Amino acid sequence: MFILKNAWISIKRNKGRNILIGIIILIIACACTITLAIKNTAGYLIDSYKSAYDKEVTISFNRENMMKGFDPSQAESRENVREKFDNIESFTISDVESFADSEYIESYYYTYSIGLNGNNIEKAEIELNNDMPNGFGHGKENNMSSTDFTLTGYSSLDAMSEFINGTYTMNEITDNAWDIAFDGNYVFINQELADYNDLNLNDKIKLDDEDGNTYEFEIIGIFKENEEGSTDAMSMFSNSANTLVTNASAVTGITTSNEDLQATINPTFIIDSYDNAQKLQDEFYEKGLNENFVLQTNEEEATSGVSSIENINSFATTFLIVTLIIGGAVLFIINMINIRERKYEIGVLRTIGISKFKLTMQFVSELVIVSIVALILGAGIGAVSSKGVSNSLLANEINSSNERTEEIGKNFGGANMNGGMPDRGNRGEMRGKGMPVVQAYDSIDAVVDIKVLLELLGIGLSLVLVSSIASMVSIQRFSPLTILKERS
Amino acid sequence: MVNKEKNTSTKNIILSIKNASYRYSDAEEDDYALRNISFDFESGKIYAIRGRSGTGKTTLLSLISGLERCTEGDIIFDGKSLKDMNLDKYRNSDIGIVFQSYNLLPFMTASENIILSMDANGLKIKNKKGKAIELMEKVGLKEIYADRKVLRLSGGEQQRVAIARSLSYNPKMIIADEPTGNLDKQTEADILEIFKKLAHEEKKCVIIVTHSQNVCDNVDVIYDLKKVVSKS
Repeated sequence: MFILKNAWISIKRNKGRNILIGIIILIIACACTITLAIKNTAGYLIDSYKSAYDKEVTISFNRENMMKGFDPSQAESRENVREKFDNIESFTISDVESFADSEYIESYYYTYSIGLNGNNIEKAEIELNNDMPNGFGHGKENNMSSTDFTLTGYSSLDAMSEFINGTYTMNEITDNAWDIAFDGNYVFINQELADYNDLNLNDKIKLDDEDGNTYEFEIIGIFKENEEGSTDAMSMFSNSANTLVTNASAVTGITTSNEDLQATINPTFIIDSYDNAQKLQDEFYEKGLNENFVLQTNEEEATSGVSSIENINSFATTFLIVTLIIGGAVLFIINMINIRERKYEIGVLRTIGISKFKLTMQFVSELVIVSIVALILGAGIGAVSSKGVSNSLLANEINSSNERTEEIGKNFGGANMNGGMPDRGNRGEMRGKGMPVVQAYDSIDAVVDIKVLLELLGIGLSLVLVSSIASMVSIQRFSPLTILKERS
Repeated sequence: MVNKEKNTSTKNIILSIKNASYRYSDAEEDDYALRNISFDFESGKIYAIRGRSGTGKTTLLSLISGLERCTEGDIIFDGKSLKDMNLDKYRNSDIGIVFQSYNLLPFMTASENIILSMDANGLKIKNKKGKAIELMEKVGLKEIYADRKVLRLSGGEQQRVAIARSLSYNPKMIIADEPTGNLDKQTEADILEIFKKLAHEEKKCVIIVTHSQNVCDNVDVIYDLKKVVSKS
């Protein structure tokens, strides 16, 4: 009580000096609030953006490893490389399931493709390049390029990346399409194929494998391919014209009934952290993955979009440090001058028996009281100033997020995101590759939140204490009698 | 070292300096500011410590008042060694210090200076200002001075405030460093009269460090300090 009472008396007595200190701390507080608010918002946006991406790992060829020692000028070398590619031992669904059984993997999905011929429908165009899809096949031979159609089965909604990223957009869809799409022989077909064969929703199509087995599918959706340049210059149809989209269990049913059929698997694993990608790769090798495969993450894709915000964040950090250094130095000097001016007072107080500790506490208390008032004012002014900038950043992100969400909804057939879309597994949210969380932002919250205020308080008081070191040390070193003799 | 003792009453020693020496930390081994001093001070008496410049008067004052500690020897206050005492507590409870230049805080009023000392002592009384005015009246200052800034008071008035401040927690001993050095003869006499009353009526031990012969003529015991000559 004695300390606070004396500190308060001293503050009132030295109004000019304390106002000066207050103004300096207020300026620092303003700058810190704005900077912290920007950092806070930037951090929020970065986290938000990154969280919109699943941490994905896919399996791809280790081309560098396979091309080692390759000399294109020598026919033998070319043959060796071709042989290497031909002899790669691929993996099966059971391999994928085995890989997925890892502590680093949160979930996984895959596409499963086979080649089939038309029974009651015709291939959209004979010139169409029906290249082998990217993936790792197994079976007696790679025969998809010689079949009419590629039947691609998706293991879940997450796997339907073409619909998520907008390459495919649903034109027509049955009312119950999403209730049955992942369980049974149902397909989505390309609009061009539908037009070519005069097919409509709920029509049934028949497909044959090379051994003459027939499989029947019901059409529950018709999509179109949007990607510019996807159409072969030599063909009037898009690349996906002869792609039939179904579920993975339908394809599994076919490959189970005819084990000789060649199938292609493209798995995607969702991992808990990019840091564990290397450990996961080692684990995959231990589980039998051929060393000509490597794991690739989408980390670069996930971080590239926030580089400008990260730059702002970095600039804000630098600005904060510079402000604190300059502000701290000015406060330190003012404190030094303050102590020199008040040496006599210190001498008197020491001689009447006030301990060094109490005296130090009194001086620090004076500064803390002035600082808290200045910090509150600075935080208020800073909050008003920073709100506009930060909220503008946030508002842009919300708009972008909402537009993206609407766009994805349209890709899946214009379904109502809140009611018409199926739940994508047990994750409870409508999320996907490159897809922001739906309804992630309901409103724009104040940017100067309790976190910023606590940070500001911490920084402000730390600065005050550091700049008080001069007075603390001086009080410990002053000899009261010497001070009083000097005064005399 | 004892030069003159006017009154040899029954010993009631409140402070005893036993072979006290003081050497500054940066001084050479044999270079003492004060060496082998042994004085006794009794309650109810007024003492003068006299000496020429450089004899260590101020050093002795700082040792007695607990602002410094002896490098050798000991000082015993009321049966306890200062080495074992909290010297801040000692200064704001057991002794009062009065300086030649008063050493009041100029931005405070006379009563605020006295109340500050009460606060430092942790004195718990309801009407501190009333007590301050009472002390001021005891040293010959009227109540109207209580709310005056000390810079508006004369030297003699400021010294009275300083004495009142030193009495604020009723210490057993008053230590004064040239308390009349800046005052005229009449005021000096008034101040000495206050000290005499404190010693003889209130049974406090008053120690005055002085050059003044007039002061020495008014004390009960005079201790002379001689310059310490380094052996080297």
